[in-house]
Amino acid sequence: MRRFTRRHLLVLLSSTAAAGLLASCAGGQATPTSAPAGGQATPTRAPAASPTAAAQASPTAPSATPTVAATPTRSGPVTLKILQWSHFVPDYDKWFDQWVQEWGAKNNVQVVSDHINYADIPARAAAEVSAQSGHDLFAFGFPPSQYETEVVPLNDLIKELKQEYGDYYPLLERSCYNPKTDVWYSFMDFWAADPILYRKDLFDQVGKTPDTWQDILEAGRQLKQMGNPIGIGFSPEIDTGMAMRTIMWGFGTSIQDANGNVVINKPETLEALEFAKQLFQEAETEEVLAWDAASNNRFLVSGRGALILNAISATRTAEATYPDLAPKIAIAKTAAGPRDRKGSAHWYNCFVIWKFSPNVDVAKQFLKDLVAAYQDAFKASKFYNIPSFPKAVPDWQQQVQNDPNANPPDKYAVLATAPDWTVNVGWPGYMNAAEAEIFDRWIINDMFTKVATGKASPQDALAEAERQIQDIFKKWKDRGLV
Amino acid sequence: MVSTAVPRVAARRGVVRRVRWEFWLLLPATLYIFLLIGFPLVLSIYYSLSHISVGRRDYSFAGLANFRAILADEIFRQALRNTVLITIVVLIAVLVLSTILATALAERFPGKPIIRYLLLLPWASPVVMSTIAWKWIFDSQYSVINWIARKLHLIGPYEFPQWLGIPSLAIISIIIVQVWRILPFATVITLAGTSAVPRELIEAALVDGAGFFTRLFRITLPLVRPILGVAILFTALFTFTDMAVVWILTRGGPYNTSHVLSSWAFQVGIVAGDLAQGAAIALFMLPVLAIVAVWVLRLSHREVTE
Repeated sequence: MRRFTRRHLLVLLSSTAAAGLLASCAGGQATPTSAPAGGQATPTRAPAASPTAAAQASPTAPSATPTVAATPTRSGPVTLKILQWSHFVPDYDKWFDQWVQEWGAKNNVQVVSDHINYADIPARAAAEVSAQSGHDLFAFGFPPSQYETEVVPLNDLIKELKQEYGDYYPLLERSCYNPKTDVWYSFMDFWAADPILYRKDLFDQVGKTPDTWQDILEAGRQLKQMGNPIGIGFSPEIDTGMAMRTIMWGFGTSIQDANGNVVINKPETLEALEFAKQLFQEAETEEVLAWDAASNNRFLVSGRGALILNAISATRTAEATYPDLAPKIAIAKTAAGPRDRKGSAHWYNCFVIWKFSPNVDVAKQFLKDLVAAYQDAFKASKFYNIPSFPKAVPDWQQQVQNDPNANPPDKYAVLATAPDWTVNVGWPGYMNAAEAEIFDRWIINDMFTKVATGKASPQDALAEAERQIQDIFKKWKDRGLV
Repeated sequence: MVSTAVPRVAARRGVVRRVRWEFWLLLPATLYIFLLIGFPLVLSIYYSLSHISVGRRDYSFAGLANFRAILADEIFRQALRNTVLITIVVLIAVLVLSTILATALAERFPGKPIIRYLLLLPWASPVVMSTIAWKWIFDSQYSVINWIARKLHLIGPYEFPQWLGIPSLAIISIIIVQVWRILPFATVITLAGTSAVPRELIEAALVDGAGFFTRLFRITLPLVRPILGVAILFTALFTFTDMAVVWILTRGGPYNTSHVLSSWAFQVGIVAGDLAQGAAIALFMLPVLAIVAVWVLRLSHREVTE
């Protein structure tokens, strides 16, 4: 028997490595996600057909008929790759993954549906643009204005949808359209409201309802003494970014005006800062300084928190996991300030189609069919996904009046009023690349936190924030996007 | 003539063959370094001199505008100060603790293999997982440290010391986690060095009446200085360039006071989308790391030569 020498070992290892390398270089199509039970995992290859739309979708008949027939290539059917976040209401993802496979099977399109943590979206998007490769459809949780030059304009899609479903909520236009360039750079199939979630039993004890910011402050002073403080973050995370803007709008101030001019430096901003300082010092504890995006949810279900600003995913979690606590949590409109009642949406589900996508028409058709399926989507999301086109779910405001799973059944009724008080980041102007960068750098969060903790005076914090904001606006104006 | 020429030709062929063989052996490592380190480095220098952003591949020349902008930014200066401070404190703590641990582990005592195994665990566990565990230890609501302090009546029932919410405590928390994760590596390196110290020298010192600290500072540490240099180099590199610990624990908060260069570069370059400024921030790490690496390697080389 021949000896197995070191040379033999090296030859064997290098051959194995070379074989592996060759196999990986050979490549292949991305593996589609397996369809959940009941879905069709393997799309059948259809005969060659026209790539034009074959049927019009009906808002009340979700994807009943194939609406796009993709032309198979020599290597097989078209593959549509979709990336979106892992939804805060997991049942929606189950519905979505099953629906996309059914849609793919009906339309002879192989669909790959990937979900990632919402916090990984910015890095993933940057990587795909840099590599000019990745998914065809990419869903952001926030209007991706800074990507406008890298995405396919969707003006035609919006026009078609508007013809079919009528008017959309203004939030859609103000979050996905750039009036400067006349480009619809993304399409938001849904948005989530950011109401007040509060412990009704505790507020009843102090004889208040959280209708205004002043009510919240006054109740919060007493609730903190009872060991149940208010839970609005002062931290570098998205919920804080939205809450601080909501306070600013309530006090009649904003970063920009309706025409995109920076107007933050005004007495109303100082007033908002002074109020936030009072709120933090008199109604909250220092724990809100270290919060991440999930901390306020944990705070509420811990039983200690008296009030948070969040989407209804927090109450849905409580219903599923803490049945004793859930009936004590009530939902209210965003609080009114001295001058206005406006609050940010909690989630802006903005789809873009990258310019490098080879399947632009298929991706657009997918979005159209998704809107057509919104009756089911709305139910699967347990009222979290509010459709951008109200006529896609014509009775959604009636549905939220009576939820048999909620206690009381009309717990979610206030969501019907959300379109009246929910506005975009950047309000009263349009969302734009400068507002996005200001949000992502946590400039507003820092300004409020510095004042709340006494690190800076309102005047100094405002001056520093304004300097940064002016620089960012100038940069994006120079680049022609603002 | 003929008799000398033939061996020369044969020798030259041997050299050529050897060079080719060595060339092929080195090629994968060279390619790896170029593709995964050299190319991104050149690219980041190029990015830092351009107007590129995540959504706009604008490679037009910006000169030093990005560097001027970040130098004028207070958060960048704070991140730079934090990076240097955290690195120095971690370095000192790791050197002191690893020397103590290595000295203890060099002795024989019951349960030594178990202690060695436990000591290596932080190094073996993925940094992201262990940092998430630390995040819970420091959590604003469920901190186990606060829970124990409350049980011991050191703090009141509604007191929640904010390990990650107060600037000074946030920096201390980051330092604790960095020391915790790097200490096993530095200890193993130091232990390897101390084990290599000739036993005769120690015994001779004992005969001469040298005490523990005399032996440690006059014999052991001078002899292990080259290998300590390696521990210093890696500790400095790991701490200076790490962003996972800061990103997971504080994400730079509160109000951007705990950022280090790498986390601020990520925040600006990827999250906020300004790739050019992000690259410029990241490049500030390069000269410092190059100087540290050259200094430590020269120190080690000198000791070995001597």
